[in-house]
Amino acid sequence: MHTSIDRLLDSANQIILGKPRQIRLALCCLLARGHLLIEDIPGVGKTTLSHTLAKLLGLDYQRIQFTSDLLPADIIGASIFDPDKRQFSFHPGPIFNQMILADEINRSTPKAQSALLEAMEERQVTVEGTTYPLPAPFFVIATQNPAHQIGTFPLPESQLDRFLMRIELGYPDFTAERELLSGKARHTLIETLPTLLPQVQMEAIQHAVTQVHVAGSLLDYLQAIIVFTRTSTDYPSGLSPRAGLALLNAAKAWAFMDRRDAVLPEDVQAVLAAVAGHRLRSGSHDSEAIVAPVLEKVAIP
Amino acid sequence: MVTEISKNNLIFLLSAIGLIALPHVKHIAPTVFAFFCLMLTWRFAGVWRPRWLPNKALLFVLTLAGIFLLYSQHQGILGRDAGTRLFMTALALKLLEIKQQRDLYLIVYLTFIVAASQFLYEQNIFMAVYILLTCGVLLATLISLNNTKQDNVLALKTAGVIIVQALPIAIALFMLFPRVEAPRWMVFKDPHQARSGLGDSMEPGSISRLGLSDERVFRVKFAGALPPKNQRYWRGPVLAYTDGKHWKQTQSRFADARRDKIKAQGRAYQYTIMLEPQDKNWVFALDMPTHFADDLSMNANYQLTTHKDPNRRTEYRMTSRLDYNTGEITPDEYRENLQLPKAPIDKIIALVQRLKGFDTAPETFIQALMQHFRQEDFHYTLMPPLMEDKPIETFLFEKRLGFCGHYASAFVYLMRVAHIPARVVTGYQGGEFNQVGKFLEIRQAHAHAWAEVWLQNRGWVRIDPTTAIAPERVEQNVDIEQQIASGAVSFIESDAAQALSWLGDVRQLWGSLDYSWQRWVINYNSANQARFLSSFGIETLRQMLYWLMAIVAFITALLSWLLLRGKNNNTDKVLIVYQRFCRKLGKIGLRRKPGEGAVDFACRIKRACPEHAPAVDVITGLFVKLRYGRHPTQNDWLKLKKQVALFKP
Amino acid sequence: MKTLTLVQRFQWSRFFSGEDLGDEPALLNHRRIFILPSRRGLGFMVLLLLLLLIAFVYNNNLTYMLTFLLASVFFITILHSFKALAGLIVRPGQSPSVFAGEAAAFEIYLENPGDRPRFNLHLTLSDTAVMNLAANSKAGIRLTSKTTHRGWHHCGTVTLSSTFPLGLFRVWSPLRFNLKTLVYPKPSVQELPFPMSPDDASTQGATRQGVDDFYGLQEYQKGDSIKHIHWQAYAKGQGLISRRYSGEQGAALWLTYDATHAQSLEERLSQLCRWVLDAEKAGVHYGLVLPGFKASPGLGLAHRNKCLKALALF
Repeated sequence: MHTSIDRLLDSANQIILGKPRQIRLALCCLLARGHLLIEDIPGVGKTTLSHTLAKLLGLDYQRIQFTSDLLPADIIGASIFDPDKRQFSFHPGPIFNQMILADEINRSTPKAQSALLEAMEERQVTVEGTTYPLPAPFFVIATQNPAHQIGTFPLPESQLDRFLMRIELGYPDFTAERELLSGKARHTLIETLPTLLPQVQMEAIQHAVTQVHVAGSLLDYLQAIIVFTRTSTDYPSGLSPRAGLALLNAAKAWAFMDRRDAVLPEDVQAVLAAVAGHRLRSGSHDSEAIVAPVLEKVAIP
Repeated sequence: MVTEISKNNLIFLLSAIGLIALPHVKHIAPTVFAFFCLMLTWRFAGVWRPRWLPNKALLFVLTLAGIFLLYSQHQGILGRDAGTRLFMTALALKLLEIKQQRDLYLIVYLTFIVAASQFLYEQNIFMAVYILLTCGVLLATLISLNNTKQDNVLALKTAGVIIVQALPIAIALFMLFPRVEAPRWMVFKDPHQARSGLGDSMEPGSISRLGLSDERVFRVKFAGALPPKNQRYWRGPVLAYTDGKHWKQTQSRFADARRDKIKAQGRAYQYTIMLEPQDKNWVFALDMPTHFADDLSMNANYQLTTHKDPNRRTEYRMTSRLDYNTGEITPDEYRENLQLPKAPIDKIIALVQRLKGFDTAPETFIQALMQHFRQEDFHYTLMPPLMEDKPIETFLFEKRLGFCGHYASAFVYLMRVAHIPARVVTGYQGGEFNQVGKFLEIRQAHAHAWAEVWLQNRGWVRIDPTTAIAPERVEQNVDIEQQIASGAVSFIESDAAQALSWLGDVRQLWGSLDYSWQRWVINYNSANQARFLSSFGIETLRQMLYWLMAIVAFITALLSWLLLRGKNNNTDKVLIVYQRFCRKLGKIGLRRKPGEGAVDFACRIKRACPEHAPAVDVITGLFVKLRYGRHPTQNDWLKLKKQVALFKP
Repeated sequence: MKTLTLVQRFQWSRFFSGEDLGDEPALLNHRRIFILPSRRGLGFMVLLLLLLLIAFVYNNNLTYMLTFLLASVFFITILHSFKALAGLIVRPGQSPSVFAGEAAAFEIYLENPGDRPRFNLHLTLSDTAVMNLAANSKAGIRLTSKTTHRGWHHCGTVTLSSTFPLGLFRVWSPLRFNLKTLVYPKPSVQELPFPMSPDDASTQGATRQGVDDFYGLQEYQKGDSIKHIHWQAYAKGQGLISRRYSGEQGAALWLTYDATHAQSLEERLSQLCRWVLDAEKAGVHYGLVLPGFKASPGLGLAHRNKCLKALALF
């Protein structure tokens, strides 16, 4: 299992250049069965990343471009009257796919946003009294432009909490940029990618991740972090219990990817910025800076 | 710092004070105790109704009243009673003026002194246990004063734990703290109430009921076997002078160095006698004492007296022999022991003549007289009729009812009429044997009077005329209750008898416990201490102090270990060893930051000093496995310990 | 956790002000805990002497026993007093910034890792907080101390003490953490208008509402143009909702040192502080210019704190 993970990471790194950490976090998020929010300016490779992951994991992939006139029905589908059968029949929307890229989610109205987010949370869709389960596995990778861009509806904090992680891609560094410019187009490269982690294996890994051992002393550390964020005046509000669970699950996945069967404080620290950044302060984008006081001041017991 | 004093604390404290002061109701003047009770009740009421407490002016008046009360007792402030009164009054007045925590502490300290003053009156086990328990409550009060969490049960429990932990050191101090008798000037005498017991004189006819109690007089522990029951005569004052009604000691009992030495033989009985406090300086000894301690002296009547304060319970060691010859008597003694108030009446002369008192050997006359008591209609009773006028004649010829005093005085009188020197000896006879403690207990009910006649070549010989009429009085140890209950015969059912014997066992057990208590606790004085400690080879004061320090140090070390040892669980042990590793690295300037994980720290170390990489990897790996891993083993822990010990940066 | 060298261990300053602990948590052990009899303890010693005298004069063994028992209790209490603090872990916490004149609050966390509860713990800075700690528990406490001047305000020595169980001994541990808080200048009470910005004189008060691009919907607020009311929503009974349009960003407000008119430095900083707070409250983008410092215009808590910090440390 570990070798296929490594191969997957290698392949992804050849497509998205100079972002090994972000790719690792993105995969970690998927292994922990969480949804991912990528926040950055347009054109830094958000779509490429999600498409690459979908391809490598062999998942049905659908991109939904969020616009201000997008309606909930455009996402989840609608019941349409079938004149032949003389009854309404449900036409599933793009959300009935294993991996969804919700592009520029903050461009759409809150109504459309919440339709997606409810589906994410419940992993099912209810239209006119009928419940339709979403396929498994089900991942949403949402991208968002930074909030100060004009004409957007930033996701409220309660909605942000539904994303396990938020990552920023940032500009590529000099050598990566050069390689990008001199290399082939990314789209063509993605099309040639093989499936490295079939669905069965993916599910096995996801199960193994839940079995990663968590010692009492690690929970002490985790709790110390949570208590710190709640008592510290650096943050308007502390981490919720759900955020604590998210942190634990992400740390487990991170430990698994590091070929360990027990979580270390370092695992928690590695995923902390991605997991806690958007939960602690939604307005700011530099997650590393947000969680820096936590890493510095909370002693490992 | 002024802190609010909680109601709970006050109730706790006041109850403890009430309990501690309570036994003083028997000891101190009723007025003072009433004053104390009034103040305590007032203060109790003040817990719920603070407005009822006296203001400054009223408090001043109350203080004056207290001073007046003390003054009215006319006994100054020194001495036991006066001191107790003073502290009780002070405590009572201080109770009404509680403003700060400091006041509570002063009150608690005063209460401790009042608690100690209880021991000046009573020193039995009950009192000791009672005061110990109440002091525990008092300590619990202090604990709850220092705890914002008001938990009385916890406070009492903590106080109990502290007292139990304090006991070993207290006992060591008790045994080894040098005891020095206080100099005479420091001992304040108090007038004390007269105690019942043997008196200087005897007047058998004027008593209609022998009011002797089962109050203990002394206890005797023999080093070996006990003397035969009919030989257990404990010699007390000797009464030689009579006016016909009373018998008294003679004046000459102190003088005379010319008399013969006692020639004693036979078995020597060694024993320790512990005398209860008494008024007279008499020390009762088994007839006849031959060796005794220096603080005792023997007067001309072979009675022992002590130089010590008889008011205090004291132990004496002595040796007695039952077979003795006192030798010749001096002319003075001879004259005194033939003294008669006036010429005997004819009836008596006739009686002596009939018993051949004037013309046979004294031994024969004695036999005849004893025979007379036995054969004629004489009876032994503890409730004789009054014989105020001419008691001896009335007893011999009319009533013929009496107890030991009547028989002894009549016997001596008749002897003297027959020109045989004779006298009455008072003291105790017999004693109750305690099976548990293996000692004899002599009570007031064992008081006895017998006769002593002087015979040529034999010296003073003890004759007990009571044996002629009631041999069981001497032969057996008659149950005291039975004896006092006017001799009424009662049938005892076997169950009841068993219950009674069981009760008797308990009584004996208690008696034994009390004897040990008296012997080893109450009477543990400088002499006893020296004797006890020398059996452990501790002779000098210096050795005593060394031992004291050593024992206290040992107990402290033991307690510190018990109290302060950390209860390390497995992970803590791991952490401690890892911290040792970090300390070693700290010496070369590599300190782990609080938020730095072990693996990250290891990376930093390896960058800083690559030569330690293998060791650091091993240690970090083991630590991580032990602290966060799924199945850490004992082996890992041992390896980690070893690796850290070997690690040298 | 720090360890001490032998020389450091015998320094007198440790006795009163404690060792410098930095940011590290302090485990209270025999090196950090001091015990001395309290005044009440001295009184108890007098009581013991008095009792000994009584026992001696009356040669009363039970009074001796009582005296020895109480003396022993006194002695044993030393161990119990030590136990009251030993093993506790004290950690420095946060200290939010305050304005001069307000009380600075320092957070201290106490952890009791043992399985027996601790009672009557006094944490003293300028005032004293009393607390009990259950077994295996943690608690945070906020100690306050008065601030007068802007700049860094150091916490100084925090003393953790207890008189448990009997009050005869005071056991204490002076702890000097690297706890400090930033004290901002006291905001001026004078309500002066914002200074005129050199480039745009019309940006006082609030951001200008734009009319160009639809931005979103918001609850109707007094003063909103009636043209912007979302009538469709109103017809559906959703209440009054205004449409918002974003126009060009309002030009920034520049708060400069030179724009203040007060006499002294402190008064000027105080005025600037006031403006920063007001601008933040009004939602105006503002920048701050001090001699040797310039913060480009911005809005939000982080920006505010950055500006205030510059003022505090100026």
